[in-house]
Amino acid sequence: MLNLSQAAYLLRETAIGIRRGGWMNWAAVSTMTVLLFLFGISLQTTWQIEGLLNHFGSQLVISVYLDSGIDATSLVEPIQALPTVTQVTPVSKEVAWQRLTEELGMTDVAGAAQQLNGNPLTDELRVKARTADAVPQLAQQLEGIPSVSEVRYVTEAIQRLSELHQGLRWLSLGIVSVLSLTAAAVITTTIRLIVMARRQEIEVMQLVGATSLWIYLPFLLQGAAFGLAGAAVAWGLLLSIQQFLHHLAAQPPDLVQFLADSLQLSLGQILLLPLSLFALGSAVGLGGSLIAVRKLALR
Amino acid sequence: MAPVKSPPDRRSVHLPSGIRAQQRAAKATSKPATKSASTTPSVSLRQVGKTYPDGSQALIDVSLELRKGDFLFITGPSGAGKSTLLKLLYGQEKFDSGSLTVGGFNLANLRGNQLALLRRRIGIIFQDYKLIPRRTVAENVAFVLWAQGYNRKEISRRLPPTLKMVGLQHKADCFPSQLSGGEQQRVSIARAVVGMPPLLLADEPTGNLDADNSRQVIRILKKLNSIGITVIVTTHDEHLVRTSNFPVVQLRDGRLYQVRS
Repeated sequence: MLNLSQAAYLLRETAIGIRRGGWMNWAAVSTMTVLLFLFGISLQTTWQIEGLLNHFGSQLVISVYLDSGIDATSLVEPIQALPTVTQVTPVSKEVAWQRLTEELGMTDVAGAAQQLNGNPLTDELRVKARTADAVPQLAQQLEGIPSVSEVRYVTEAIQRLSELHQGLRWLSLGIVSVLSLTAAAVITTTIRLIVMARRQEIEVMQLVGATSLWIYLPFLLQGAAFGLAGAAVAWGLLLSIQQFLHHLAAQPPDLVQFLADSLQLSLGQILLLPLSLFALGSAVGLGGSLIAVRKLALR
Repeated sequence: MAPVKSPPDRRSVHLPSGIRAQQRAAKATSKPATKSASTTPSVSLRQVGKTYPDGSQALIDVSLELRKGDFLFITGPSGAGKSTLLKLLYGQEKFDSGSLTVGGFNLANLRGNQLALLRRRIGIIFQDYKLIPRRTVAENVAFVLWAQGYNRKEISRRLPPTLKMVGLQHKADCFPSQLSGGEQQRVSIARAVVGMPPLLLADEPTGNLDADNSRQVIRILKKLNSIGITVIVTTHDEHLVRTSNFPVVQLRDGRLYQVRS
């Protein structure tokens, strides 16, 4: 078990190693920053697209707009009886109008309705299909019902967005993997150079009976420090970009504000982002330095 | 007495294969009484052979035994295998045949933490000192204790008397480049003994020193031996060997010959 002075010794040796690293430290930290910044961006984008998709609604839900004057509740039972339907939710035109005006940011709801000669909307039914495959056929069936004016379900665009989301995940996974290898290679080279510069000290340590762990722990800590420094800078950059976008979205019309709001991260995601950056940073840093010292430690 | 025979050109003896030469302390007057009571060998080599990858035979059937508190000079021309022999003792090189034990450790396939533990029981002095240039005298000596995991309090306790023993307490804050060769070698000795090892290996400790500094170094080594530390010194300085009365063996062409017991 380490006591305080031993821990202080290890940290001091780590600091000496970092000082000896010189410009190589910058190479290591900046590579880590690029890696973690892109990782952070891709993570954030994935979360945002997920949020957007959730906002547009489930791909299984079909919106059925009824003819003017038809009460939605009257059609719940016959539609519920269809075999591919799992759930039917009526939405009255009043509720729909209320939601629309809220989403558009209108404050004078009564005035708007008056200008349009009353509520222009009709009652709606939200019909949830059993499977995604059943959606088009069910939509056709619903369209055939006499009092149904229009049927809408998740359009091709949303499906494309979903596909893009999947593609982006794979792409970011690929980029992060390649960049992780690059960052690990840079850190390996940096630590090796520092080990070479301190080989005389290491030789003396070996000859006086220091264990490999004791000799190489400062180098592993150094690798982790590169990762943590890169993560801190990348997080700072991501926060700055978030602040900048938020500032841009603060002034414009409510519709843009609504979109900007839907791209906001949840509290959990806001906490998870730096944790993920620091975890990946220290893992890549430790991995890189471990590769650098492994061969020497096995001697 | 060691069963050895002399080579034709001098009073030394070649150790025949299969017979170990016992190099016990001959001068009881220079040693504490406790040493003669010791029966466990501190260092034991039996028919040890070492061949380098290029095919050159560094050591051939070397047998040697030392007990706690012994002092031994190993002489021989450059390239005779003196340094190789010491490297085998502290596990820097591997031997190909025979058996080798140091302080109870069997050196065949000794590695990792076990090797580190053995080295904590051995102090090593080098001809080129191997001091760390960017660290002060005190830091160079304390470095050993830090490396072995000692805490600050223990290091502070051990450092001053060790520096005093080699007469360098007033140069604790100097860097190696500010010291003479003799002083640097004394730092090297301080570093070797600060961990209080029972065995001290000195590889040509006077090789780069003038006569006065050489005498001073040997005087320190004798002093350490007098407190019970087993000392093995390699040297090609015949004068140094003649002026002392410790046992002497000679390495020539990889073989060990006894010169004085």
